[in-house]
Amino acid sequence: MAQEPHLVLCVDDELIGLKVRKILLERAGYRVLTAPDGSSGLELFSNEPVEAVVLDYSMPGMNGGEVASKMRQTKPHIPILLLSAYIGLPSEVLSMVDMYMTKGEGPPVLLQKLGSLLQPLSNA
Amino acid sequence: MNLNQFNRILRQVFLLPVIALLLLAVALFLQIQDANSTVQLIQESDARIAQVSRIEKLILNEESGLRGYENTSDGRFLQPYLDASQGLQKEFDKMETLPGLDAVEKHYIDDLIEKHQLWLDAFALPVIATIQAGGQARDVDLNLRGKSMMDDIRQDIADTTHNAEQRRIARIQLWHRQVRHMEWLLLLLALCVGIFIGLFTRNRMHAVSSAYKTSLDVLGRRAEEIFQSEQQLRTTLASIGDGVITCDAQGIVQMMNPVAVDLTGWSQAEALGQPLETVFHIVNESTRHPVENPVSKVKRMNRIVGVGNHTILIRKDKTELHIADSGAPIRDRTDGIAGVVMVFRDITLERKTQDALLANEKLAVAGRLAATIAHEIHNPLDSVSNLLYLMRNGATKEESVQFMDMAEQELARVTQISRAMLGLYRESKAPVLVDLKEMLQEILLLMERRFTDEGVTVRVDLPSGISVDAFPAELRQVFSNLIANAAEAAGHGGEVRVSIAPQPGFSSNGHKQEAGATVTIEDNGMGIPEEVQPHLFQPFFTTKGERGTGLGLWVSRGIVTKHGGTIELASDTSEAAHGTAVSVFLATKPTINAGGD
Repeated sequence: MAQEPHLVLCVDDELIGLKVRKILLERAGYRVLTAPDGSSGLELFSNEPVEAVVLDYSMPGMNGGEVASKMRQTKPHIPILLLSAYIGLPSEVLSMVDMYMTKGEGPPVLLQKLGSLLQPLSNA
Repeated sequence: MNLNQFNRILRQVFLLPVIALLLLAVALFLQIQDANSTVQLIQESDARIAQVSRIEKLILNEESGLRGYENTSDGRFLQPYLDASQGLQKEFDKMETLPGLDAVEKHYIDDLIEKHQLWLDAFALPVIATIQAGGQARDVDLNLRGKSMMDDIRQDIADTTHNAEQRRIARIQLWHRQVRHMEWLLLLLALCVGIFIGLFTRNRMHAVSSAYKTSLDVLGRRAEEIFQSEQQLRTTLASIGDGVITCDAQGIVQMMNPVAVDLTGWSQAEALGQPLETVFHIVNESTRHPVENPVSKVKRMNRIVGVGNHTILIRKDKTELHIADSGAPIRDRTDGIAGVVMVFRDITLERKTQDALLANEKLAVAGRLAATIAHEIHNPLDSVSNLLYLMRNGATKEESVQFMDMAEQELARVTQISRAMLGLYRESKAPVLVDLKEMLQEILLLMERRFTDEGVTVRVDLPSGISVDAFPAELRQVFSNLIANAAEAAGHGGEVRVSIAPQPGFSSNGHKQEAGATVTIEDNGMGIPEEVQPHLFQPFFTTKGERGTGLGLWVSRGIVTKHGGTIELASDTSEAAHGTAVSVFLATKPTINAGGD
């Protein structure tokens, strides 16, 4: 790859799930930062040159919707992919993120969606 | 007009004519007195005329006696003269002392006496003296003088008599006038008094009659009002949606409204005079034992009684209806019981609706649970599918071992969750021994994710070995409900406490009590305002808007009651100690109330 790999931030309170997702994304050629909750995720998001976010919805303390709205306030152009084990999330949450998928749809879907989010960026 | 006023009028109507007639009598009496005095005057005049004529007679006797003596000179002829002279003096005295003489009459009398005296002195006595001396008195001049004197006397007497007669006539006229006057006065007074009594009586009678009319009007209005109110009550009773049966104090049916006729199957005419328990035959839904006669129950309790739930009314045609009913005493004036009113309604449909609602709530609970479980399973499944993907796409041996370890861990979680889930559907017909600690832990495990999501800390105080006989699925529904409510109330950063406290068969002061355990679920949320608290256990009451069915606590209480337990809620909204605590007491060996909601 000629260019520097994309830096992706993963936020999830499921520690095993987060660890596995990090390995998966690294294998797919991304650089990955992880955060186990909303507040540490936001800290990394503002300090690091993150290019995309994979965000879990249900987390203790601050849910994915709140984290996304804070991220939009600091860097509105960074794409966010929202993951959730629930279906039927509130529409105001869905309207805030670029893309949404339910957990369990499988790794190819995740990789494909993340790729499509970063595509316009790599073209630019 | 009250009775006093009426009596006063009666007195007035009695006394006034009496007084008026008395006054009339007084006036007449005065008039009669006047007339009487006139009559007296007339009598006086009569006496005077009589007296004058007596005097005249005596004077004539004197004269004729004297004349006889003159002619005969015989002393025997003089005797009448002497007798008359002697009487005359007496009659003159009498005449002078007669009552009611006026100056004119007196003058006449004095004149007469004087003239008589003159005749005596100047004629009679000289004549007698001459004859007694043996002489003659036949001298014409002398006799002429005597005659003229006597004429004078006669004239005087005639005048006096005439005068007296004139007066008498005048007095008689006066008397006539007075009598006429009296007649007129009598007529006038009688007329006046008559008119006055008439008017007065009319006025009083008018007052009485208007009062009577008013009373009649009032009575009429009252009667109309009573009729209307009775009509109103009758219509109300007839159109009321509930069955109403009225009995006397002995429990004999007196009246039924159309709904009661419809529900019991007994017509009004058939039921009349029958004992209530014949017409209103009620038994307990589960035991089929007859329920205590509402009449005797009302009499015993002396107040309104709700006749127990789960009552079945057996109709005349032996069909059955679920009813809800109550009995109320009809009070007599002395606050005793004059009868009993039974009010009841058909709740068969209501019961079906209730059952449907219960099923609905069960579905809602199941739905919420399913969502929780799906979430719980999705997370580990996601990890496992990611791990499988990694392994399939070329992992080293060491990596594969690590990935498999992680996949096993995640699968263990799934297994644990599915086991807890299985517990939900282990339903049995009879109550089984339920370990409360185990059950609460399972519930808390399933809800763990939710607690972490919502930032709620859970503290537990769950001693082991406390078990009660119960239907586990139902109890689980109660506790899930209560814990979910508590977590929601506690909110982010809040705390929920779940504890079990055993209750021994004897209290600390040695009293026998039901052995069991109290599960308490507390939160430190804002608390429930007092005005909301009474509604909490009502169906469809919710503070959660769209998210709640409003059936949770209602169903929970139903389940706890069915288990022969109690559920109590205490809440505090104060700044210092806000929060809510729900305590559920469950007996170790409860009497299960089959339909106990």
